[in-house]
Amino acid sequence: MKIGLVSPYDFASPGGVTDHVRHLARQLRRLDHAVRIFAPSSRADVDFDTAEFYRIGSPISVPVNDSVARITLSFHLADRVAEIIERERFDVLHFHEPLMPALPITMLRMSQAANVGTFHAFAKSNIGYFYGRPLLEPYLAHLHRGIAVSEPAKAFVNRYFPGFPLKVIPNGIDVSVFHPGHAPIRHLRDERVNILFVGRLEKRKGLGYLLRGYEFMKQRVPNTRLIVVGDGPLRSSVESYISRHRVPDVVMAGYVPDTVLPRYYCSADIFCAPATGAESFGIVLLEAMATGLPVVATEIDGYMSVLEPGRDSLTVQPKSWSELGAALVILARDAQLRTRMGAYGLEKARRYAWDEVASQVLEVYGEARQIRAQREMVRSGEVLNVHDAV
Amino acid sequence: MSEWRWRAFKIVQSLVERLPRTWAYALAVMAARVAWWFSPLARPRLEYNLKVACPELTTSGLKELSRLNFRNHAKAYADLMMLPSMKVEAMRPLLHLEAKDLEYLEQARAVGKGVMVVSCHMGSYEVVSAIWSATLAPVSLFAEELEPRALFEWYRDTRARLGISVLPLHLGGLRKVTQALHDQEMVVTAIDRDITGTGQMMPFFGRPAPIPLGPAAIAVRLGTPLLPVCVFRLADDTYSAEAAAPVIAQSTGDARVDEVRVTQQLLRHIEGFIRRHPDQWHVPHRMWEGSP
Repeated sequence: MKIGLVSPYDFASPGGVTDHVRHLARQLRRLDHAVRIFAPSSRADVDFDTAEFYRIGSPISVPVNDSVARITLSFHLADRVAEIIERERFDVLHFHEPLMPALPITMLRMSQAANVGTFHAFAKSNIGYFYGRPLLEPYLAHLHRGIAVSEPAKAFVNRYFPGFPLKVIPNGIDVSVFHPGHAPIRHLRDERVNILFVGRLEKRKGLGYLLRGYEFMKQRVPNTRLIVVGDGPLRSSVESYISRHRVPDVVMAGYVPDTVLPRYYCSADIFCAPATGAESFGIVLLEAMATGLPVVATEIDGYMSVLEPGRDSLTVQPKSWSELGAALVILARDAQLRTRMGAYGLEKARRYAWDEVASQVLEVYGEARQIRAQREMVRSGEVLNVHDAV
Repeated sequence: MSEWRWRAFKIVQSLVERLPRTWAYALAVMAARVAWWFSPLARPRLEYNLKVACPELTTSGLKELSRLNFRNHAKAYADLMMLPSMKVEAMRPLLHLEAKDLEYLEQARAVGKGVMVVSCHMGSYEVVSAIWSATLAPVSLFAEELEPRALFEWYRDTRARLGISVLPLHLGGLRKVTQALHDQEMVVTAIDRDITGTGQMMPFFGRPAPIPLGPAAIAVRLGTPLLPVCVFRLADDTYSAEAAAPVIAQSTGDARVDEVRVTQQLLRHIEGFIRRHPDQWHVPHRMWEGSP
């Protein structure tokens, strides 16, 4: 099959959707499909050869959903895209965030292939979807099949576009990358219990609550350490909080390259995800589970669709640092509980391996092609068959 | 005092981090010039050491060499300061390796007992080991703890971001070195300076100097091959590394004698490296009797 994957986000900067597209492409190629990627990119030198990666437009930063999206707003690229679509003749075009301006929505309009859309985002409300409904609905009709990465993401889309059929296919993780047994960062692997945070340092990730929870825990279980992996706009304020409150044993690791990240997971004992909302899916939770780490996470919809509290994780109210601290105390004190939860998570993470996910996605591609063929038949029937017209 | 040194370092670092690479180097070259003029002790000591290493140098040649040496060292410092914001994809093309040197590494690896890389204080070993660890294989650095503490922690976290474990030169660190070697990892250390003050006097460039026996001791006990390596900067500010044939420590029963013999073997290689790149070997400390 010839498949085109379309992403609205800057391919050169790290992010959930970008990673998803990259992995899906790799997995589909492994299964001998021809895959092309369309995405904007702020740098020309992304690690993809140009034959398989079309760089469409350069991204600008747009604040959405308490975060920053790097998307392109170059609508004038339509001609170039049309030319590529004409030349490549895709069997399936798979749009990620299909209603996101400008790339996916522009391409969706002109696509002649079987169109599949994956909805990644989740939020309490979306003004764009709300007011854009009349505008966006015709676009949505171009999609033959829809995928949502989780139940909350599905519910979110269906709130604005009720009746639009969506199949839930979770995000995948690369179990060949995230697994126990990597060499740890040795100076972090001592007798202390390491708590790991991985994420962009921005408000919605809730690192502030974790810091308070950690202080709370540190008084009770002193033999612990907090490792913060990630960079972001809040970095300096986090650092100043740590020095002002003299929070001991916090390691600010900064942005850790992908090649080293699995080793950080293997250096930790507990994974903590304190996000306050607006997460559609906890990919970091799966990475942690695949490494065999027990999880402490907040009870937000996106996380709860992945977690089974009590079996692989302890969950707490969002924004409650005291609950977070208490959960950390329990896990930090109980090595057996950590091992048990870690083992359960490890087993569960296998279900989210990319080959598993890709085969589900391929099923949807097949359905989409069928639907497209049916619609084509009906349409051509209208013209060709006199009896139909009568 | 040390608190202020740390603050000053952090301010300069956060500035350099934001500069483009060429600008950072320009700043480094300027700082090197100032340091070269005004350093009360570092320059005479460095020149003394360089004179021992390359006795054929004339006075003007030596002066030129020490100026270049300061310059390269300042650039290495700039590299270090830029490390926190450096992207791995951008780093990989900066390192040039030759097949011959990789061959030596493979030879050492084939023994199956980890590799102890023995080097000297030369070039941007920070960046090279970071590139290595982030793109090829985990690296541990067996190095001294710096003062002030905050500076040491910064060093450690900056290196750890790129996957380098930093193991201090004491018993706990030693245990971790053993573990790392057991897991087939590379442990990097330098033997051209005796930091802990427990070195053995032995000829280095023909004159007795205290040299640490630690790496040789580990090699004799564990059978780990020792790989002499040096890294240096090329004219276009990219990096290269040079290795020599791995030294396998044969045990004859007398550990002390073995350690000294193996260390001397290593020193001959290190001397060769330093002679080939004297402008990059930056040790402005007392090494030999009679140094200022």
